Amino acid sequence: MAYPYRHDREVRVMSEAFGDPAARTLEGWKARGGYQGIARALEIGRAATVDEVKASGLRGRGGAGFPTGVKWSFMPREQNPGRPHYLLCNADESEPGTFKDREIIRWTPHQLVEGCLIGAYAIGAAHCYIYLRGEFFEATGVLAQALEEAYAAGLAGPDVLGSGVQIDLTLHVGAGAYICGEETGLMNSLEGRRGEPRIKPPFPAAAGAFGMPTTINNVETLAAVPGILRHGGEWYRQWGTEKSPGTKLFCVSGHVSRPGNYELPLGFPMMDLIEDVCGGIPGGKALKAVIPGGSSVPIMSADECESCELCYEGVAAAGSMLGCASVIVMDETADIVKQVRRMADFYAHESCGQCTPCREGTAWASRILRRIEEGRGKPDDLDTLLQISDQMTGTTICVLSDSLAAPIVSAIEKFRDEFLALIRRGERVGAA
Amino acid sequence: MSEAPFRNPGWAGNTGEFDLAEADVRGVVASDGPPADGGHPSVAPSLPYMLAAKDPAAPLFEGPHLERFEKIKSRYPTARAALLPALNLAQELRGFLSPETMDEVAALLGLSNAYVRGVATFYTMYNKRPVGRFLVQVCTNISCNLRGAEDVLAAFLAHAGTELGETSEDGTFTVVEAECLAACGFPTCVQINSRYFEDVGPADVPGIVDRLQGELQSGAAV
Ligand SMILES: Cc1cc2nc3c(=O)[nH]c(=O)nc-3n(C[C@H](O)[C@H](O)[C@H](O)COP(=O)(O)O)c2cc1C
Ligand code: SF4
Repeated sequence: MAYPYRHDREVRVMSEAFGDPAARTLEGWKARGGYQGIARALEIGRAATVDEVKASGLRGRGGAGFPTGVKWSFMPREQNPGRPHYLLCNADESEPGTFKDREIIRWTPHQLVEGCLIGAYAIGAAHCYIYLRGEFFEATGVLAQALEEAYAAGLAGPDVLGSGVQIDLTLHVGAGAYICGEETGLMNSLEGRRGEPRIKPPFPAAAGAFGMPTTINNVETLAAVPGILRHGGEWYRQWGTEKSPGTKLFCVSGHVSRPGNYELPLGFPMMDLIEDVCGGIPGGKALKAVIPGGSSVPIMSADECESCELCYEGVAAAGSMLGCASVIVMDETADIVKQVRRMADFYAHESCGQCTPCREGTAWASRILRRIEEGRGKPDDLDTLLQISDQMTGTTICVLSDSLAAPIVSAIEKFRDEFLALIRRGERVGAA
Repeated sequence: MSEAPFRNPGWAGNTGEFDLAEADVRGVVASDGPPADGGHPSVAPSLPYMLAAKDPAAPLFEGPHLERFEKIKSRYPTARAALLPALNLAQELRGFLSPETMDEVAALLGLSNAYVRGVATFYTMYNKRPVGRFLVQVCTNISCNLRGAEDVLAAFLAHAGTELGETSEDGTFTVVEAECLAACGFPTCVQINSRYFEDVGPADVPGIVDRLQGELQSGAAV
């Protein structure tokens, strides 16, 4: 099996079978230990399943890093009559720089199906919807085949593994809207509405999809669960740090020689990831900046990357966020103003428009940044941008608004000279 | 059919050094496409569209498509929740969603016309007007942008002979800019109908365009 960029510092707990088409079938997945996790969960019971995941310390991989077992324990213990519980699997992966969930789905679909079964069982849900982004036709096709196999084998449906427990799974595809990845936007979209986020509270565990108690988890979160159930929570803690246990898929893109997905223990040094695992920056160019967690998090300067450890607390200490561990690397040729403007275009396009600071702020930011980029900036534009960003932070229903403010503020703070050079001289930094 | 560059390493970085066949990487559903009746109800709301020539006058819904529509409705506690899958199916059959199509879907689900239009216009994947046989979506978001996505977009426009957002005169290609497609390690990522082409550089574009033309002629286009 050709697998050019396996790196020997990887720990392939979840991703060992990436690139191996034989692992996509039920038979192939069982031969690799598949479906032992759900069997054990059914054996030890619902409460003990939640405890096992709590013990592992697994944190949500969708961006916020909330402990998964704790989230599951927020669900009502008993199901009230007429109040069914739902599990939602968030497979809407659309945060720029993030490309891990699609790999999990298309190479190890049964790993995700099993994770959904365990999650649904743990929270007392008889139905799990997997909300896939609409663009993932190919990956969805692979997952659909796996799900049909799981139904045929009695792993999903009215009587999971002969236990009498009913768990149905349904694939639901979106239709192109980043905001449907936000948990309550996703719920509205699933219900057949515009994907507009909801004001919280109520929180999903009280009233989520269809107004019922709901838990929502990312694909990678759920894909990590079968291993934890099979081997135990302590096993998972052999990797990572005290506060960030386990392994994580790091999606590395931008200016590195070997971009791709690498499964590494949390706490891995950022410079080792860039220089060793990903082969460094092509052409021996210098590092300029890194966005460590997808486009929504503050940009880090090269200095800040020096001693940064890639775990939730490590990246926070360096002034940014691990997010979904989508590491976007920029070398000295990268045009920060242009890239921030491109991000602003994205957020302006994807804002659902409910909140004025977000709807107006993202659009203004995009226009002002374009003006600066094109050499038509005004001296007080940076102050205006900072002011808009300030008003976009902490003032809206969801954090999409904050997600643009963070890169803008950090870019102006750390690369002010590049903005000023364009404003003063109408020149792009780096241009001859 | 001309051999187009195929480099979907996916997990493996962008050298293209891997020995899997294209079908292995893509995990192609079935050579004759997904079952029209949607297969098992659990997957009925999901199966891929954009797989064949479109008929703007296709009925909503008849025969196996009606079966699929019924399966879809059976998976949700409310009729409203079947709206996105029903619009997907309507677009799969007709190629785009005209206001009249939206109204028909509204009637099928007992929703108001205004409501359905409000939902349909929220989502970018619903084509509000006809598109070419191949909808070419070039990601120009940050990760691809850093690696030259704008040149790839320009190359597609040149080789497809069309303007951004427009359809070529022969109706074959519509080229648009896309937001992040979640394949950032393998820039530039281009989605063409249901398929991803990854690791695309400007020099690869003529080969891809040739390949698509060839598929169209041989009837193998998806
Ligand atoms: C604007 C926005 C977009 C988001 N997009 C995604 C996404 O595409 N996939 C995802 O899993 N989580 C996304 N999230 C995070 C979800 O709201 C939610 O926190 C996550 O799915 C919870 O799963 P976890 O606890 O397993 O991490 C997004 C959040 C926001 C504010
Ligand atoms: S912050 Fe933006 S995206 Fe989020 S709910 Fe408000 S307008 Fe919509």
